Amino acid sequence: MQPIYVVLIINIIIWTGIFSYLLTTDKKIKTLKKKLDQLSNEKNR
Amino acid sequence: MFLKSLKIILFFLLAAVIYGAFLYAPLAKGLGEYTRVLYFHVPTAWITVTAFAVGALFSGIYLKNKELKYDLWAEAANQLGLLFGVLATVTGSIWAKMSWGSFWNWDPRETSIFILLLIYAAYFALRSAVEQADRRAALSAVYDLLAFVTVPFFVFVVPRIYSSLHPDPIVNTQGKIHMNGKMLLVFLSSLSAYTAVFFWMLKQRIDLIGIQLKIKQLEN
Repeated sequence: MQPIYVVLIINIIIWTGIFSYLLTTDKKIKTLKKKLDQLSNEKNR
Repeated sequence: MFLKSLKIILFFLLAAVIYGAFLYAPLAKGLGEYTRVLYFHVPTAWITVTAFAVGALFSGIYLKNKELKYDLWAEAANQLGLLFGVLATVTGSIWAKMSWGSFWNWDPRETSIFILLLIYAAYFALRSAVEQADRRAALSAVYDLLAFVTVPFFVFVVPRIYSSLHPDPIVNTQGKIHMNGKMLLVFLSSLSAYTAVFFWMLKQRIDLIGIQLKIKQLEN
């Protein structure tokens, strides 16, 4: 395999990793927001 | 749903940029194989300036409204600016090693980005030195605005006053972009994709700051 393809594949893997990490963080933030909203609603009752 | 589709588009856009940088775009005359770093180095430098501008904007809003969240938003933008600044320096340094034979040459472009990174590192040093939240926010907002004044000077003016080996004259003669259509397509796609990634990261940090402030509110 030519070195340029190796570099290309490594770059794609790195980008996929960063993208997956951002997606996972997005999900975690959403869950946290929901939990906090529930907590503040319970506190306000 | 709309945001989800945008994220999927972003994934494929940046993947296409990576493919384009290595296999689609032709090489620039005089730069050879090293042209490829252009599609990653310039967008990181662009994001550095954008992030510092967004940080300065939030600092200005803080000084006007005195709402603590804007100070924290400014900190988040500047953190990302510093991160992308380091990435721009590293990618530039790798290019310098390949092209000039040394990772660091104290070229005007390298020196100016180094000083800029130091100025913004001092912003975080200042923040960590002041404990009282209001005082820290006010001091760092003023410092941030002063720091941002130096950004155009160090990024755009200094490297053009002193003779530099930085390859601006090849791809950016007379301040205009002279690129082959294929190169321009990959370059502009890369700029857009990096900008989208930056705003996505910033939004996550802003959301986290909101969560942090809400937890504090619930605790009191």
